[in-house]
Amino acid sequence: MMDCKDIREILDLYVDGELSPEATVQAETHLAECVPCRSAVARLNRLRQIVKTTVGQYQPMPQLVDRVRQSTISRWRRPRTWVPVAATVLLIAVMSLFAPQIRGAVANGLEVAAFHLDDSRATVMEGKLLCRDCLLKEEYGYHAMCPTRGHHGSLQTRDGKIWHILDGEASEELIHNSKLLGRTVRIHGRCFRRASSIEVDSYEVL
Amino acid sequence: MLLGWTRQSKRFERDALPHLPAVYRMARQLVGAEAADDLVQETFLRAWKYFDTFDSATNCRAWLFRILRNVWISRWRKSRLELPIPETEEEQIEPYYDWEDEFLRDEMSAETERALSELPADYRLAILLADVEDLTYEEIARVTECPIGTVMSRLNRGRKMLARLIRTYAESKGCNPQPEDFVRRRS
Repeated sequence: MMDCKDIREILDLYVDGELSPEATVQAETHLAECVPCRSAVARLNRLRQIVKTTVGQYQPMPQLVDRVRQSTISRWRRPRTWVPVAATVLLIAVMSLFAPQIRGAVANGLEVAAFHLDDSRATVMEGKLLCRDCLLKEEYGYHAMCPTRGHHGSLQTRDGKIWHILDGEASEELIHNSKLLGRTVRIHGRCFRRASSIEVDSYEVL
Repeated sequence: MLLGWTRQSKRFERDALPHLPAVYRMARQLVGAEAADDLVQETFLRAWKYFDTFDSATNCRAWLFRILRNVWISRWRKSRLELPIPETEEEQIEPYYDWEDEFLRDEMSAETERALSELPADYRLAILLADVEDLTYEEIARVTECPIGTVMSRLNRGRKMLARLIRTYAESKGCNPQPEDFVRRRS
């Protein structure tokens, strides 16, 4: 059986509904008979109610609700700003490939990259010396620079494949001596298969 | 991945966003009207970020309050000086004998708000979670990361202190403008 002292000690638990069912029954039995303790409960409940009313009167502004919504769930629903930016950058990159200077730079870059990726190996290659630019002009109407810059020798092997001769001391004559064009040569050097290029160590005109 | 976001958005809208008014009124009592919006926004941003860790079987409002408290401690409370509540008194419950008096009236909202702002922050938080948000002691303990005994003690002491402050402010309104000097701090 609870007395006044017991009740006053558990008043918070009683009004907060935290007492066990048995303890609640005991408390209510005492409260039914004790006016001062019933008043104490009523006053505590009144305090709780005033706090609830005071604090509960404030509501967030609609702008805050919108802001929170925008920064969380709506962030993934609205069009993403990076998509058009990325598309523009890509478009500019693709368009710029059509500019001759950029196209040349890209080609050089790719060539350098190809050499880095290639597995070179020693080779002895036999074929006919041709001017690459003249060949391109004949095949594709390419605007050859041979009249101003001279011919540029390349090697065509028997299978029809054209090999680019890399610049170097040993390859100087093969590339720039136009008298050798049309001659069959045997080149000793290194072959970069993926880059379709030969590095010349020595050669012999057959 | 997009499907995951959509599902999470729907869950967040259903489980978390309806508690925005509750988070706001709590934030307002902790940092005041001017900073409340920022505290609410940061709380929900963090909640959104970690929403995949939220267990749907638990109380989402309590989970949000816990985040709110962490943000509040890390961003606001640390920048203010506040004396810690003595640990030795944490677990003590005092019976309600000397505080009961017929003075509480409905029109005491201003005094109540002022008194709440003067309470030590941990007492205020416990009272708000219990009396305004109707959280259980266990949920309050989880939100405030302390034992249930400490929650009981904070409620007991906080309510007594609150009642005394309201009474003091009500009495001082006309005749004595100087409040008693037992609690002076804000956070």
